[in-house]
Amino acid sequence: MTHRRFFMSLHTIQWTRRAWHTVLLSALVGALPALAQNTIKIGMITDRVGPAKPYAEPVAAGATFAVKEINARGGILGRQVELMVEDDQGRPDVSATAARKLVDAGAVFILSVSLTPATQQAQTVTLESKTPHMTPSNGGDTLTTQVNNPNFWQTGPLGSTQIATLLSYAANRNYKRVALITENSDLGQLTNRFFKAGLEKAGIQIVAEEMVPRGSTSADAQMQKIRAANPEALFMTGVVTPENTLILRSYRQLGLKMPILGNYNLSVPVYTSVAKGLMDGVTFVDAFDPNKPETKRFIEAYKKDVGTEPYNLNGYGYDGVMLVADAIRRAGAVDKDKVREAMQATKGFVGVMGSSGAQYGFADGKRTGFDTNGMVVRVYEGDKQGKVVHVGVK
Amino acid sequence: MNDFLELVVGATASGCIYALVALAYLLITRPTGIINFAVGEWAMMAAFAGVVMLNQWDWPYPVGMAVMVAMMFVVGWMTERLTVRPLVESGAPPLAPILALLGMLVVFREAISIGFGPDPQAVPAAFGFGRLEWGLLAGSYQSFFIIACTLSVFAMAWYFFERTLHGKSFEAVAIDRRAAAWMGIHLGRVTAVSFAMGAVVAGLAGVLAAPNVSAHYLMGMPLAIQGFTALVIGGVGRVEGALLGGLILAFAEQMTVRYAPVPPGLAMGVPLVLLILFLLVRPTGLLPAREGRT
Repeated sequence: MTHRRFFMSLHTIQWTRRAWHTVLLSALVGALPALAQNTIKIGMITDRVGPAKPYAEPVAAGATFAVKEINARGGILGRQVELMVEDDQGRPDVSATAARKLVDAGAVFILSVSLTPATQQAQTVTLESKTPHMTPSNGGDTLTTQVNNPNFWQTGPLGSTQIATLLSYAANRNYKRVALITENSDLGQLTNRFFKAGLEKAGIQIVAEEMVPRGSTSADAQMQKIRAANPEALFMTGVVTPENTLILRSYRQLGLKMPILGNYNLSVPVYTSVAKGLMDGVTFVDAFDPNKPETKRFIEAYKKDVGTEPYNLNGYGYDGVMLVADAIRRAGAVDKDKVREAMQATKGFVGVMGSSGAQYGFADGKRTGFDTNGMVVRVYEGDKQGKVVHVGVK
Repeated sequence: MNDFLELVVGATASGCIYALVALAYLLITRPTGIINFAVGEWAMMAAFAGVVMLNQWDWPYPVGMAVMVAMMFVVGWMTERLTVRPLVESGAPPLAPILALLGMLVVFREAISIGFGPDPQAVPAAFGFGRLEWGLLAGSYQSFFIIACTLSVFAMAWYFFERTLHGKSFEAVAIDRRAAAWMGIHLGRVTAVSFAMGAVVAGLAGVLAAPNVSAHYLMGMPLAIQGFTALVIGGVGRVEGALLGGLILAFAEQMTVRYAPVPPGLAMGVPLVLLILFLLVRPTGLLPAREGRT
């Protein structure tokens, strides 16, 4: 074989290979839309770089695990689930854009795992496009009342439920004069508002109400004012860990002794390390009972798959996806109207979150689904979260 | 009275943190004219260095601090060499380095956010979290430690600028860069060292504040704003201005919260009101550069 022929043969082989590659690639690319069409698309808007990131990330991780588990069990209606994730940076404007992108990409359902104002803004898109939309973690009471959006549901425990549970726990202490302290995040302010309303409704006098702005380097001035007002108990309504840690440090440094009753943010396990030595005796409301059978199973499965021990925030995301899957199954199709009707008809759904026996469900005309008797009260023992000492609002 | 003196200690400690950040701005702004808003992120990086060295590796505090200082010196130096100098050498407009440093702010913050995760992390205090009562004054060990460290840093900065030849070269560059270059002062080195020293001072602020506020990826921006406000109040002309500005800002904040009959939401507007007032009425700050030297 001459050199020329040899190179021509080589060229022919290379061309044939290239042609095969092109054919294969075309077939693959052609098959992709069919594959994608066959999946059920669930969109998730989360905050990956903004202020909600510490909370959005674990909730999103729980949602991702739920999708994995659903797919391992054969998917929904015989179809695999595809989770499409968009980052809204905690910004309302970006959140609405992300919702629009997900709707255009064919999302059957959208989960919002971000700041409350961002979730609120995304609703403008889901209202207009009639896309079912849910937040599994936001606790602000106003998310389902400010916009009349029949496509939107909220399954996290509300601020009003948190204070009702804490007051129910503290009923035998008969508090008459209490203080409130929060920080200036949107959710912190909203939680404070509903705690204040709950306390006033119970006829309890608020003798001091303080706020520690985000980025403060000291909470001494605020805690001195509370010390001077001499309340019987201090309710912490802030949801940002560094500022809450600052408050707890000042509380110890200034020698305050009144009991602390905290919102669900104090249930996040990060406090056991970042506020080490400050937590003993702090009472907090939680939606996670590690001894509940469904929660135990979730903890074991998550640990086995992800390799880390899950906590309450992971559970919110997990329950959110499972509620969506349940609604789509009952709808029997991915038609948005049918899914919306099925979601609104949700009743008696037992999830990972909530006390033993707690059930998700939407009362007629209501779109908040967390069981009002589903929260628990726990007390820190040293730096560890203690057992459940109280359940519900009764 | 006890309440007041207790608050004086706490406010002084907060003011010292603001003052250190203001000094970090000043060290860079004086000779270069560049305002570097990434000083807050430098403070955050140092706080995370504290997490690693003092918490995870459990190094002795002085060793951890010394390594942190060296690390921040390198970070500041590299920031100048890689971000600012190429722009200056290519004749970019004066705003370009400021914008590039804003970009670095995002790079620093996201690098920490990805590397360490979003959760806040604990940084140990130099002498633990006990309470010291000294006559009528009372406060945490960390508050007194912050005050002592800050006064030492300011004393050293003052000595450097007022009593050493190298310090004078910085001042000469601040007065007239071209004339300073003609006199044989190495402009590039002065600029690089100003960034390096700025990073060290910002880093100290971060490590000193972190035991109270914890180390987290969003801690930089509030520190940058508080430090900038302190700088505007005190003025960029003299080192003492940064200290004075920081203390005035912290006292205004905390005394308003404690004693002024205003709702808690309004008290947080005090620093912004101060910033606007000083920009309108006394834009050079309380302590302008000395006459005859500018």
